[in-house]
Amino acid sequence: MEGKIFVITSGKGGVGKTTATSSIGAALAMAGKRVAVVDMDIGLRNLDVVMGLENRIVFNIVDVVQGKCKLSQAAIKDRRINNLFLIPASQSDNKDVFKSEDMVRLGKRLKEEFDIVLMDCPAGIERGFENAVAAADEALVICTPEVSSVRDADRIIGLLYARSITPKLILNRINPAMTANGDMLNHEDVTDVLSIELIGLVEADDNVIVASNLGKPLVMINDSKAGQAFIRIAMRLDGHEDIPIQVPKSGSTFWRNIGSKLGFK
Amino acid sequence: MLNEIVKKLFGNKKSSSATAKNRLKFALIYDKLEISDEILKNLQHDIVEVISRYFEIDRDSLELNINKSKDSSALTFNTPILSAKKRKTS
Repeated sequence: MEGKIFVITSGKGGVGKTTATSSIGAALAMAGKRVAVVDMDIGLRNLDVVMGLENRIVFNIVDVVQGKCKLSQAAIKDRRINNLFLIPASQSDNKDVFKSEDMVRLGKRLKEEFDIVLMDCPAGIERGFENAVAAADEALVICTPEVSSVRDADRIIGLLYARSITPKLILNRINPAMTANGDMLNHEDVTDVLSIELIGLVEADDNVIVASNLGKPLVMINDSKAGQAFIRIAMRLDGHEDIPIQVPKSGSTFWRNIGSKLGFK
Repeated sequence: MLNEIVKKLFGNKKSSSATAKNRLKFALIYDKLEISDEILKNLQHDIVEVISRYFEIDRDSLELNINKSKDSSALTFNTPILSAKKRKTS
């Protein structure tokens, strides 16, 4: 059976594309899928360090596209998780090193080799975005509950629709206490403004930084709320759409509300 | 200090997330109304062509604008009409 390509995109930088790509990729591989995560941020690669595979890069995606190596030579096998492969970006080229047609061709080969391919899209809406989207079958848009991020997500959603892709939304870095206080957009506000289907809610979690410090997949850190949320997103992508979306909560809302109204944080 | 606590307890201060949602809704509407200069230029060209079929107009003093107000936007096109064209009757 042919595989499927998902692009993970956001428009705005720094909202969690790379974390989402590595976490969902790891979770799907742990569930038995043969997974490739592809860093499409040519010139500013990061997926490799976040996954702790930066020391093992020999070839990269540009080498594959230019025919300098085989696809299997550029795909780095993760030794901790079976069936998980990283195709790193090149650090020395820039984003217009290849065209959409190159990506469509590469996408076809990737789908022959892997069950699921996750493209980590660069920030912005220029060439790099075009390339990352060119071969995608489906898209996940990720944003945080902040006005700047939501606005950029809206722009990206429009661009995806123009390519006949109906994306789903991951709302990342939710602060449940602020949401309960009315000081953060909740997931209903965001899906309402963006008119988009939700695929997961991810709580802000210090473990994301710890995991990237260690170069360890977030989903392998026990008790990571964000890690668990990404595992559930991966399961939903894998056809278990019935897994309910959990809304991040923290402690008793009643007493915390009274506390914060009194000025206790 | 005490004043502040009383205010926090009883005040009906609007939550900042509600403000955010409102601002976003308007921002997204405005974003979608933004039209590139090229489209505007082509539009102007087409409008001039259509009007010129019926009127003599001063092509140099044309003005095409998009006026936005809080909850609506209007496309306005200003041109002095020099004279009506006589339509050929056939």
